[in-house]
Formats: sequence, C-alpha cells, structure tokens
Amino acid sequence: MTVPGAEELARRKRLQVGPETVSNQASTDFPGHWPGENHEWNLDHFRENLKVQFYSTPPPDPLRPDVENTDPALDLTFSLIGVDTAIANAFRRILIAEVPTVAIETVFMLQNTSIIQDEVLSHRLGLIPLHGSRDGLRWMKWRNKPAEGGEEEPPSDYNCAQFTLEVDCSWQEGGKDRMRQGETDPNKLYVNHSVYAKDMVWVPIGKQHQLFKDDPIRAANPDILIAKMRPGQQIKLMMHAFKGVGKDHTKFSPVATASYRLMPAIDILKPITGADAKKFARCFPKGVIKLEKVSPEDAQKDPELQGKEGEAKAVVHDPMRDTVSRECLRHAEFKDKVRLGRIRDHFIFKIESTGQWNSDELFLESVRLLKIKALRVKRGLAEMT
Amino acid sequence: MSGYTANQATTAQDASGIDINARAVNYTCGDCDGDVQLKRGEPIRCRNCGHRVLYKKRTNRMVQFEAR
Amino acid sequence: MAAPEDPSHIQIADTSADPDDTSTNDPSNITNRVTRLSGSTDTAASFQIEKEDHTLGNALRYIIMKNPDVEFCGYSIPHPSEDKMNIRIQTYDNVSAESVLDKALQDLMDMCDVIEEKFREAREEHQNKMEE
Repeated sequence: MTVPGAEELARRKRLQVGPETVSNQASTDFPGHWPGENHEWNLDHFRENLKVQFYSTPPPDPLRPDVENTDPALDLTFSLIGVDTAIANAFRRILIAEVPTVAIETVFMLQNTSIIQDEVLSHRLGLIPLHGSRDGLRWMKWRNKPAEGGEEEPPSDYNCAQFTLEVDCSWQEGGKDRMRQGETDPNKLYVNHSVYAKDMVWVPIGKQHQLFKDDPIRAANPDILIAKMRPGQQIKLMMHAFKGVGKDHTKFSPVATASYRLMPAIDILKPITGADAKKFARCFPKGVIKLEKVSPEDAQKDPELQGKEGEAKAVVHDPMRDTVSRECLRHAEFKDKVRLGRIRDHFIFKIESTGQWNSDELFLESVRLLKIKALRVKRGLAEMT
Repeated sequence: MSGYTANQATTAQDASGIDINARAVNYTCGDCDGDVQLKRGEPIRCRNCGHRVLYKKRTNRMVQFEAR
Repeated sequence: MAAPEDPSHIQIADTSADPDDTSTNDPSNITNRVTRLSGSTDTAASFQIEKEDHTLGNALRYIIMKNPDVEFCGYSIPHPSEDKMNIRIQTYDNVSAESVLDKALQDLMDMCDVIEEKFREAREEHQNKMEE
C-alpha cells in the first residue's frame, strides 16, 4: 500500500479555479481510483483528519465585510475540515429543512377591520419566528395529522402554544386638531397605529406555566411590524402554534439561511513586487494580500528577487476573506504568477439562526438528525429482510 | 388560503331570525361614518346626516385561517 | 349531530397518557420504508427508500463508495413529485448488497458520532478561550 506524500494529498484536495473553468472538482478518495492506495472507510483515520475550528473573532462575511452587530449565538461561522461535500451538504439541507421548530399554524380571526386582509395577516403571523425556553420547546410534542376523513384531535397543552393579539387604533388627545393644523406624523396623531410582534400575548396553558416560567414563549424579534392601522380599526385574533419542519413550510425553518463555502487557496508561484504588488493586492478584498518588504534572506533564496531588496512583495495573508472573483486572472501581468483554487474538504459554515435555536445547537441537532435518518433506514432494512 | 366560519354561529343566527325579529343590525354611514342601527323594515337613512348609502360592518363571527 | 367543539379551545392533557406513541407526524415513528426493487440478485440490488431525498442519498452513496467490495453505487430520485429514492449497489465476488447497505448506514452513524464529539470539543475549547 503506497501512502501519498503530504504535498500530493494537498494537491488532490485543491479545486483549481481558472479564468473560465473549474477543474479537479470531483473527490477522488475512493478505493480503486489511485492504484496501490487504500481509501477504504476507516473511522479512526476519519477521526484523525477531522477538524472543527471556531474563530475567536467572528470572521467577516467577505461579501459584506462592513456588517457588524451580529449576535454570535445566532450568527455562527465555523470551519469543518476533513469531510466530504456530500456530508457537508447533508448537514446544510437538514439545517434548512428538517430541524423541527414551533411556529404559528392556525389563526382564529375575531375582528379585523384593518386594511390588511385576513389571509395576508395570517400569513405574516405564521412567518414570525418564536423564541422560548429551550427545554420547554424541545419537550413539546408533534401534533397528529388526522387520518383520511378522520377527526382532528383537539390541540392540547403539550403540542400547542396559544397567543392572542388585540389592538385598537384610536385618535390621540388633540390628535384631530393637530391633523387639521397639518401634522402628519402618525406617532403624534394616533394611538396604537402600528401592530408589532411584541403586541402578541402568549397564553400559557397547563404544564406550560411551569416549563416556560423563566423564558416565556414570545416573538424572537419584538420589533417586527405586523400591520398598520388608523383610528377606528381593530385587530382581535387568537393563534395556535405547533411544531413543524421547514420541508413542510418555510416558516418552520430555524435558520434565516445556512450555507457553506469552500476555503479559497491562493498560490503565488513567482514573486510579485513593487507597484505590481500593490495592484495585485487591490485585485483582492482588503486583508487577503499583505505587502511585505523583501529582506536580504529572501533575495538570497530566490534569484528573481535579486536587487529588489526593500521593495514591497505580495504575500497571502488571510485567504478566508477572499471571494475568489478571479480579478487577478484578468490582468496579463499576474496570469502566470498566481494559481487560484479552493480546498475541497474545508467547509466554512455560516449558520444564521432566526432565534428559536442557537446556531451551535442547530448544527448538533442537524448531525443528530442525519444519524436518526440512517437509523430509520437501517431499521427499515432489517424489517424488510 | 381560505377560511371557514364556525358552524354554531349559523344555527344561532337562524334561531334568532325566527324568534327575535327586532334584532337591530349595525351599519356605517357612507358620509359621516357614524354608527346607524336599523331594524327590519325601517327606512334606510343615516340618523345624523340623512345620507342614504349605508355599509354593513364586518361580521363578528370567528373565521379560521391557516397561517400559510 | 353534536355541535363541533370550538376549534380554538385547547385542552389540558392528561399526564398519564403518553402521547409519544401515537404521533404520526413525528418522523421518527415511520418504519417499513425500504423495499427491494424487482430484478435484484444477491450481489446486485436496487433499494427504494421512501421519504428520503438527496440529503441522505448522496451521503449514503459516498459512504458506500468507500467500501472496496462495491463495484457500482449510485442513487437517483425517479420523479421529483414523489418522495422516493432509489439506490443501486453492485458488489464484487460474493458480498451481499444488503450487508453493504447495512454497513454503510452503520458507518454513517459512527461518522455522525465522531463529528458531534469533535464539534462539542471544539466548542468547549472556544468557550474556555473566550472566557479568558
């Protein structure tokens, strides 16, 4: 059994990004692909190569490098190194579609004289992400779908959360006079003209009183605007929230989105110095390429750097910030000096939670769910034979 | 998605139509937006401004929707 | 006919009744979703798994391909409107296709365990570092 060298292994993991094409894309670590090598599935080998890396300062999203104020609990970026694309994608798909969440499912409209139609209002209410005690929400059970032609079971405290929303819009004291004088700011004219998610009142029932004592069920973001009203209009409704999965309806998806990208890899084959180096650095997002002074040792080691001591040299500093836009390949002077690519088994996951689960728990739940899927099929297979 | 009205309201309504003919229904005036109560057979006219176009108010029956 | 119950009313459940067993909506209670398609032999078989899609299909295919006894492995979704996934396994020599599928499912489960373990370790390490 031949064991390939570290350099060869690194080369195999590199996805080549050319100016118009992408090559070396498919994973090749299957038995029989490389003659003489052993690529059989080995759990210990996998465990050794697997690496999960968190970052002390959350790495900025290269497409939105100026965005701040992200809550690290809900917006997690981490690296998963050493798995295959199929597995990473399975986790991503499960995060989006199969992690169960509680969201509003039924709306009982008692009064709605606002301009927002009943069904539109119901749709908006369904999309509001809810938040509550973590253990309490996990404790909640699924609601049985009625069998064909059967009766629906009435909801109970272990599978349903109830909310009410009652808002009346009226004139402020002296509001009518102010309007006649030309005032248009609704905050100065009306009372309760905007209905926000914080106006939703949770009605605890039965065991929920105890389970959600310290962390009641509420909207994850209280400032979501549900509807706007004017004096004389009223919204009075009751809502039931149940457990569901994103596969059924997107409102049950626990993430705003979950995505991954592959770690970019930039190789500078021949040194780039001077003004070229500055131009090279501008081809990439800020922070990717750093300019270093050519030191005498560098000049000794590399014949091309002779006589260029003191000049700026382009050095790859933080490839994670790169967006692989291939801008440098558009310029003739850099085309042959740089090789762009991605590392095929280094996944930079970004999990943006809507608030019901924390992002790290979401990933753990996703791993657990993949295991449960495999277990179910295993049981089914055993039953079949 | 469509909603549906609770059944018991219908039966209650039918019963009241036969028993209590003198149930007043609330309408809104087209001009002055004032509340107008009319019983069966009364002339259709706003009490305040005399405008003859009245609008019926939204039902008080509960309507159920799926939040989808 | 009795008037239907007010649909907006929520009952308080009897704590002695265990609601877990009866839930048909909870996906973990669905079994018997694996069938063997016609035309299979001992060493070459197509399995049809219901209620699964690319999520499990591609992951399973990858693990099965890592088995040196496997001559061919592929998965497909016959029609996107139906929730079915077919997976075909052909093996060398006398290895049964079912045993390959069984082993692959077990390997997948073990792999999930390792990933979970490593993630928890890394998370704890990160939390400890952040507290310093």
